[in-house]
Amino acid sequence: MTLEVDPAAIRHDYVARVSRRYGVIAAVFGLLCLSFLLDITTGPGGYSLSTIAEVLVDPMSHGARLKVIVWDYRLPVAVTAVLVGALLAVAGAQMQTILNNPLAEPFTLGVSAAASFGASLAIVLGFSVIPAVGPLLVTVNAFVFALCTCGFILLATRLKGVGSETMILFGIAIFFTFSALLALMQYMASEDQIARIVFWMMGSLSRASWEKIGLGTILLCFAIPFSLYRTWPMTALRMGEATAQSMGVDLGRLRVEMLICISLLAATAVSFVGTVGFVGLVGPHIARMLVGEDQRYFVPLSAMVGALVLSLTSLISKTITPGIIYPIGIITSLIGVPIFISIILSSRRERLQ
Amino acid sequence: MTLTIANLSAGYGRTTVLHDVTVTDIPPGAFVGLIGPNAAGKSTLFKTIAGLITPSQGTLTIAGEDVTHLGRKDRAKRVAYMPQAYGCNALLSVFESVLLALKQTTGWRVNDDNLDRVSDTLHALGLSHLANRGVADLSGGQAQMVAVAQTIVRAPDVILLDEPTSALDLHHQLSILTSIRNEMDRKKPVVMAALHDLNLAAKFCDRLVLLREGAILADGKPEHILALPQIEETYRVLTDLERTQRNVLYVDARLA
Repeated sequence: MTLEVDPAAIRHDYVARVSRRYGVIAAVFGLLCLSFLLDITTGPGGYSLSTIAEVLVDPMSHGARLKVIVWDYRLPVAVTAVLVGALLAVAGAQMQTILNNPLAEPFTLGVSAAASFGASLAIVLGFSVIPAVGPLLVTVNAFVFALCTCGFILLATRLKGVGSETMILFGIAIFFTFSALLALMQYMASEDQIARIVFWMMGSLSRASWEKIGLGTILLCFAIPFSLYRTWPMTALRMGEATAQSMGVDLGRLRVEMLICISLLAATAVSFVGTVGFVGLVGPHIARMLVGEDQRYFVPLSAMVGALVLSLTSLISKTITPGIIYPIGIITSLIGVPIFISIILSSRRERLQ
Repeated sequence: MTLTIANLSAGYGRTTVLHDVTVTDIPPGAFVGLIGPNAAGKSTLFKTIAGLITPSQGTLTIAGEDVTHLGRKDRAKRVAYMPQAYGCNALLSVFESVLLALKQTTGWRVNDDNLDRVSDTLHALGLSHLANRGVADLSGGQAQMVAVAQTIVRAPDVILLDEPTSALDLHHQLSILTSIRNEMDRKKPVVMAALHDLNLAAKFCDRLVLLREGAILADGKPEHILALPQIEETYRVLTDLERTQRNVLYVDARLA
């Protein structure tokens, strides 16, 4: 009490903290650019950065072969990694905020399990939820099931007005239900179909295409501005639901809006690349340690960290054994988890930056 | 801005908690103490005034304007409500937590005026030294003082404080209520606080409202209310009301 500080000084501290945060965001963005560049230059063939750069500027400068490699293969994969990482991390960040639980992410709430079941339904029975989708059958089925799961969680909250803990229990129930249904599908499937299901579930960036990238980009271009627009009520929610409501936050409406946003993000990401756990968890977690939970910085940085993690994963999946691309789902878990745990243990206590 | 509560009834689902509550003409700058035993309906009354519960009957008027059905956000501009203290694990500084309270009812961008208001409020409540501390690292008492800051920073017409001193030591009980009084002298809001300590209520409030089982038993100046036999009945104690040598009201209570 005796140590009274001048109001101008605490104001100054806050302004300094904000500019440090912009610095952190810029640094992560720089790392992301670097990882992206490395990702498109790495791969079989051993082309130099300058060759790749020339092909990027003028597609035909080194012949049609290199144009196909760069424009139809490497670039879509690298962009998809960045995009899906960002989608998953933003979905995770928003889930964690509205459910007040740092363990919430598309994977833990059963969205990935539902998508896997949708995909397996397409692979085993050739059954499509939406008729006449042709080659996109598996993707569309996965998307619809993921979206319906989020919709179900949404409806449950809306109808019963349940709290965040009940929503998480719902998610776990959904996870187990779809895991069982998936096992049933696998039991019914032929060997070839099982192989396809397993491969789908491992997660792969090789399903990248410019159409998917376009769709994902549009979504992200809506989702991030929207969460920035809702930044103050969302930040207030971190003070607890009762406090947020007392400050004038319409909790019911905010939950519905955010769950719709999360549903679209998560369903899109999962249907594009299959099951990639952990990115939706680690992106927000690292972002939180770096800039705290003012959503103006937290959401964009979560997106960038998520993008960086998946971009690095893509890079690692190609470099472990030259000539072999490992499924990213395996890499994120096997290499990412030990790094994540070491980060948690090294910064013993979460501190404000 | 005069606050009037007229014939208000409200509750949760089919249970009616408040029965025909009327408190007329609370003038600007008045500190009203809401007293009564546990489960008397104090929090319900606050939630209804704050618009978190829709009343089944009755009206609320601020400065002659009917605000009974004013929307959530418009209501929050005029009425600031501090619920009973809850812990939180947010990774936000005290400064940020007060800023976010202010930003709920002001535009999206943080401007210089916002920052000035936050730092002035923290200074006025003697919380400047905590400005950079994380809200999750605060003690119960500190968290409660920050919650008061979150309420006051919005400069509303009506401030509702649900047990603002419950987690505070003696020094901070006095200091927080004194700071609130000082703020009231500057900005003249109506302040209603639910208080359990009758001596604190006697010391700081201009008017006391005694609530029991959702109905108002008495409403008036502290020296009148505290001398009423209803106090003994409501709290199920025996009391003696004295004046100390320095002319301060003192309630001495013992079990009946």
